[in-house]
Amino acid sequence: MMDKTIKINLGGTLFHIDEEAYKILRRYLQDIDNRLKNTPGGAETIEDIESRIAEIFQSQSGTAGVISSENVEAMISIIGKPEDFDTDSVSGSTIENKAYYHSEGGKKMYRNPDDSIISGVCGGIGIYLNIDSVWIRLMFILFTFFGGIGFLVYVALWIALPSATSDSRKREMYGRDDYATVFRKHGTGYSQTASSQGNIVPGNGVSNIGNAFNEVFRAVGKVCFIIVRIFLIATGVIFVLTGFFILVSFVMVFFFKYPDYFSTHSLGVNLFYLPDFLNYIVSPAIAPWILVLTFIVILLPLLAIIYWGVKMIFWFKARDGIFSLIGLVIWVMCIAALSILLFNEGISFSETAKLVSEEVVGKAPKDLYILSKNKITGLKYDKEITFDEENYNVFFSNDNNGLFISTSLIIDKSDDNTLMINVRKRSAGRSRSDGARKAESLVYHYKVSGDTLFLDEYFSVPQGNKWSADNVTVNLYIPYGTVIHFDKTTENMFRRQHYYNDEWNWRWDGEDKEMIRSDSADNNWVMTEEGLRRQYDKAEK
Amino acid sequence: MDLENTKAQMRKGILEYCILSVLSKNSCYASDIIKELKEAKVIVVEGTLYPLLTRQKNSGLLSYRWEESQQGPPRKYYELTTEGKEYLADLDISWEELVESVNLIRTR
Repeated sequence: MMDKTIKINLGGTLFHIDEEAYKILRRYLQDIDNRLKNTPGGAETIEDIESRIAEIFQSQSGTAGVISSENVEAMISIIGKPEDFDTDSVSGSTIENKAYYHSEGGKKMYRNPDDSIISGVCGGIGIYLNIDSVWIRLMFILFTFFGGIGFLVYVALWIALPSATSDSRKREMYGRDDYATVFRKHGTGYSQTASSQGNIVPGNGVSNIGNAFNEVFRAVGKVCFIIVRIFLIATGVIFVLTGFFILVSFVMVFFFKYPDYFSTHSLGVNLFYLPDFLNYIVSPAIAPWILVLTFIVILLPLLAIIYWGVKMIFWFKARDGIFSLIGLVIWVMCIAALSILLFNEGISFSETAKLVSEEVVGKAPKDLYILSKNKITGLKYDKEITFDEENYNVFFSNDNNGLFISTSLIIDKSDDNTLMINVRKRSAGRSRSDGARKAESLVYHYKVSGDTLFLDEYFSVPQGNKWSADNVTVNLYIPYGTVIHFDKTTENMFRRQHYYNDEWNWRWDGEDKEMIRSDSADNNWVMTEEGLRRQYDKAEK
Repeated sequence: MDLENTKAQMRKGILEYCILSVLSKNSCYASDIIKELKEAKVIVVEGTLYPLLTRQKNSGLLSYRWEESQQGPPRKYYELTTEGKEYLADLDISWEELVESVNLIRTR
């Protein structure tokens, strides 16, 4: 019967072929493919055979130019069955035939694509144990109610068992003798395999109840499959979106300098332009390398996530194993290179050196006025990085490649009647002396003039020096009884310091009040035995 | 032992030699080779030949050129390379030796 013709392209020629013949041909080509694709030059051989098939079809010139099943079978008898090709002197059909005749059973467990509801696991086990697959399915469902054991075992088998897609595997699946009976039952000629679309259950026939069960299972299987697909698509979408957004953020950091439209503060993230930032902390020669390597290290996993997502959504199969492997190797190599570079750079932070300079100013005045001269607000900087917890702010100025960092101020009681200023500079370096050299180069100014102390709000790292965890702490030792008048200009220096119950505290004690108020009236403190205490105007008067 | 199997093994052993011998006369299209081999009853089905041709070509014994045909797609015409000719000469010698050995054993 010929109800429908299909157009196919074979070896560059177009043929019309009827549906039944097409099924046989497709099956035949698939078998050839399975047989030859893993042999050296297999693809080329398959091509040669296909163009030969085209030639045979042309010479046959079937009824009204349509290839019929008879034409296909005639062609197969000329070319021969793939089992009869001697592809290799070792695994040729004659060797297999020998095994076929002499080995005892020798079954292997496969997933059976011809008796499959979800993946063919049950069908395969059924053939292996020579039991109707319906009972295997019932067992799996039963055991799924025991803490999901059935389900887990099923998934494990799905992963572990290969599918019996090729003829040789089918032969192994059925065991040699069964395979012979199964296929002999269907007669000779190539149509035997082509007609094996339905169930092939060796030995016993399937009962009616079994058939009904199988229908139910098939429906359940379809539903399960659809649920799994929906889940995979949802996961895939999440993967793609996540990967994409992270990628966009990183591209921003890497390639766009201070995106204005991308308000960093509104995001609560301090995004900065990494290339510039790197120049401040690593030697300029390796900064581009670190940049490129970091980018690859970030990019590859993101691409992988996006690709997996797309794959989950569209459910396609691709020969991507080799690309994944190459990607993984490149990724690991980049990480290794980056680690070496960063470790090498990290060594330059290995030793911290402290440089203390102490100046005894002399007898302290009764009233000490503290003013801040060089204020950050007066600074021209391009970028700020704030570590709130550490009260550490770094300001980058692109004009002169300058780095300006906030200082910390500590006020203690002096042991005697003298006012003492202690400036501690700290820097990290490759060695202690390297650190000391860097610490020494830090620029910090203060000035005492009469009863007024001028303090800089920040210190600077000299041009050409990298950032190396530099830190300057100014410690004032003030004699007992001295009244300190904090000028409004010093408010930023105490930004993170608070007072509690009129006591000066270095730690935040829960009551968030600013140390130095904008109205300067209340900013008078007096040094007592217990430390600094707030002094109110009326007490002073 | 299975007679058919043994026969098939024997045929297979000489198949490569036969292909090279067919090509030693003139360059051939795959079907011509098949025709000769079929006439000589060395092979039964055509499919056997194609993997062997590819293998011999890949190991440098054969080369091919494309030639237009009056009907259908262009065809591959195979011919022996210099290496293939040397290889065949070696095989010729060992074939003679083989025939001699077998005859010696059989007539003894």
